[in-house]
Amino acid sequence: MSDEALLELRDLQVIYRGRSLLGIGAKPFHAVKGANLTIRAGETLGLVGESGSGKSSIANAVLGLVPAAGGSMRFGDVDLVAMGTRYPPAVRAQIQAVFQDPYSSLNPSMTVEDILTEPLRVHKNMTKAERRARAIELLKLVSLSEEHLGRHPHQFSGGQRQRIAIASALALQPKLIVLDEPVSALDVSTQNQIINLLYERRDALGIAYLLIAHDLALVHHISDRIAVMYLGHIVEQGPADRVYSQPAHPYTRALLDAVPLLDPAEQRARRAKRRTAALPEASRVAEAGCPYRNRCPFAMPRCATEMPPPYPVAGGGVASCFLLDVEGASARAAETELVEP
Amino acid sequence: MSTQSASQPQTLRRPRWRPGASHVVVAIAVFVLTLLAVLAIFADWIAPYDPLHQDLIHALQWPSAAHWLGTDDLGRDVLSRLIYGCRIAVIAAAEGTSIAVLLGVPLGLFIGYRGGWWDWVVMRLVEAIVSIPGIMVAIVIIAILGAGLHRAMIALGILFSTSFLRLARGVVLAEREEVYVRSARVLGASDRRILLRHIFPNIAPPLIVQVTLTVGAVLLAEAGLSFIGLGVQPPQASWGTMLSTASDFMDLNWFLAIPPGIAILVTVLSVNLLGDVLRDSVGRGIAATAEPETPAARYEAAAPAASGDASLPSPRDDEVLRVEGLQVMVASRDGAGEVPVITDLSLSIARGETLGLVGESGSGKTLTGLAILGLTGAGVRTTRGSIRLNGQELRALSGSQIEKVRGNEVAMVFQDPTTSLNPAFTVGSQIAEVVRAKQGMSGRQAWERAVELIHRVGIPRPAERARSYPHELSGGMAQRIAIARALSCNPSLLIADEPTTALDVTVQQEILDLFRDLQDEFGMAMLFVTHDLAVAADICDRISVMYAGEIVEMAEVDALFSSPRHPYTRGLLSAMPHASDRNPPLPTIRGNVPRPGSWPAGCRFSDRCDFRIPACDRRIALAGIDRSVRCIRADELEVELVS
Repeated sequence: MSDEALLELRDLQVIYRGRSLLGIGAKPFHAVKGANLTIRAGETLGLVGESGSGKSSIANAVLGLVPAAGGSMRFGDVDLVAMGTRYPPAVRAQIQAVFQDPYSSLNPSMTVEDILTEPLRVHKNMTKAERRARAIELLKLVSLSEEHLGRHPHQFSGGQRQRIAIASALALQPKLIVLDEPVSALDVSTQNQIINLLYERRDALGIAYLLIAHDLALVHHISDRIAVMYLGHIVEQGPADRVYSQPAHPYTRALLDAVPLLDPAEQRARRAKRRTAALPEASRVAEAGCPYRNRCPFAMPRCATEMPPPYPVAGGGVASCFLLDVEGASARAAETELVEP
Repeated sequence: MSTQSASQPQTLRRPRWRPGASHVVVAIAVFVLTLLAVLAIFADWIAPYDPLHQDLIHALQWPSAAHWLGTDDLGRDVLSRLIYGCRIAVIAAAEGTSIAVLLGVPLGLFIGYRGGWWDWVVMRLVEAIVSIPGIMVAIVIIAILGAGLHRAMIALGILFSTSFLRLARGVVLAEREEVYVRSARVLGASDRRILLRHIFPNIAPPLIVQVTLTVGAVLLAEAGLSFIGLGVQPPQASWGTMLSTASDFMDLNWFLAIPPGIAILVTVLSVNLLGDVLRDSVGRGIAATAEPETPAARYEAAAPAASGDASLPSPRDDEVLRVEGLQVMVASRDGAGEVPVITDLSLSIARGETLGLVGESGSGKTLTGLAILGLTGAGVRTTRGSIRLNGQELRALSGSQIEKVRGNEVAMVFQDPTTSLNPAFTVGSQIAEVVRAKQGMSGRQAWERAVELIHRVGIPRPAERARSYPHELSGGMAQRIAIARALSCNPSLLIADEPTTALDVTVQQEILDLFRDLQDEFGMAMLFVTHDLAVAADICDRISVMYAGEIVEMAEVDALFSSPRHPYTRGLLSAMPHASDRNPPLPTIRGNVPRPGSWPAGCRFSDRCDFRIPACDRRIALAGIDRSVRCIRADELEVELVS
């Protein structure tokens, strides 16, 4: 892992414009509102959030599938935002992707060999035999074998299809792979096989991952750092262990608390606790100030007017919440008290 | 077992016969079209007379040895003219269709993929053409170009290209949103490559069908244009001009119309039939689903799975649902008989109790829920077992009787609330509809009850919300509505099929709390189907773990999580994301869930199990009364685990 940033997002904005006749009545939808993220070479960043949080929009922007409306995305020494959705082949080859649904991400009319050699056809000048040899090599990397080359995607199970998708993403030896919910469509018993495979390949090939998922528990297994998104904002980010075990933002805490536990007794205790602390029903979307304030049990008057800036968190990382400012202030106050006498 | 099923003549006869019939049809269609081509090419040699040779003395003759199909008004041999007409038909069909395809498909692909104002302009133009009756467009084009076969075909080609354009555009519009197209873009493939290599093979099937339909339509249109004198010019022989002649002499010799009429009919029919077959064979990658890899492990239907009777839950006083020895079969894809998807399934749920049915995809858990309601759909049959709801045997009921049970006594909540609610009606009216139909309330009462229910499931401003459409609600809100609808008739059993899987975790938590609260209030029994063990731990009182169509373990929720006994349950538990600490490799279960039809003959988990012994090759019964497990080494393993 080097210290140099492989991918650096600064104040990234993604806005979707509704499609309508001649642009009349189109409502723009602000999916990402100023995201700052950094991924170093060989590092895995887990990006977590609920549906509509904008995490997939960040993935699509990085992949050049949707244009960024503002901010910058530096990949190595190129500016991705300037290129819009038309990345030159040299950049395309460096950034690959694995998508959520292995049932639709593989072309049903192609054989496995077609799927695995397609990147080589587009980018490399190889003979048919060389491409085939590379395809076999790739299959071995994901624990499949040569005999699978001639089959169509529908002949495989979900887990095997996802292996094929990973093999295809590895074909060009990219520096960054965007993993958009890579295991959420899979069975529990095959999920971990894929997670292990991704982990192994990363260590062997030195690839960086941008891992997008909704399940914090799953992400923390293979992420070096985790960023949490809520309604287009990155509300917290930091080292994976710290975010998972000591979440600083109330939303991260809520996300973790909502994950059902395997312990029924503990679950019952949690439910009893929830019953006593019911929140008034309010709109999820807050217009001004902190985006989470309507659902936040710790909301202060200040939260309604100001957007909290990122505050440093003990243990690494930042969280955009005024609670940290309060804690920081009391800590500072405590320090000054100590100094004064 | 494969030999066993192969030796049964009954299962074999049907599949042999069915493809046979379609083969005969295909053979006939191919024969007709080959004959057409041969006649067109070799007309000079085959035709008994010169088609233009007139013999006015023998005009309008009926069929005879000399003239098999008789003669027309100028004494020309009808058979010869029919044979020469094949040539015109082939040329016309080829010309008209290829102009239509070459013009319509590329343009359609382009505007469908590109969209924007290209799309807008071209589509308005196409709509303008389509809004005018086709034959008039053709007549206008012919008026400009002049009459004659080739000009008529150019006119028809332009006319028919609009349908290719619209079809190509439509399928590309749908296809370009597919994830594999995104994958291709990420790869760096050019637009042209994406269109031709990635998208085109997937949209070919509907285009092929359109081609065959067009060939038929062109043939008919050519006949029509020739009939009104705008296509082939007399004295040349075409089927259309022949019909035109026949119509003039209908009174004198009606038979003249028969040969060209039948020729057109048979040709068009053959082309369409062949098109259907072609589409199915080209669309192989999309339409067909995988066959089980090894047919060897077909389930032995005769053996009642090692008498699972011993493990039947003992009857309880407040029992609502009791299922015993349920077996469900599915027609296999190749048509060779049936494959079991659920076997030897027994469960019981008491009032106010929640039973979790947990398993991975393909385990048969969803189908169990549907089988209880008798909603399994085509090709799926419940072949054995009893389903008793409040003491009443559901399998003995008629269709209309069971319809009364559904909604009144049993209700269901599905996974995706946005699709299980009808988008065309307000949510309030969908609930009121159920109440009215099942409980005979008046419209006004039903609406009030709907609003009350919407309030009960925790939606603020219920009267206002009742008037909104499903798409105006968030996923969690829509699921609450679906729950309200399910509870509208106060059912004694609620079947919930993955009701929180499509929702975010924080919303899932709210919905699970709602289920608990409602159960406390209404006291219904719940069958909760889920793939997520943690959700089951949260909501269920007892859990049945399903694997490959059977229950492998059944226990009280606390017991199951503190001491899982089946190796599969253990594997699942340790594979849960929050069950282990950081640092992969994470624990896994090797292999994949086997598909129905390729289950191992003995213990169905044995292929993936670390504790397998030779005895596992036999069928294993679910053993134990309150705490049952389908594993012969369960006791041994427990000791091992404890020590």
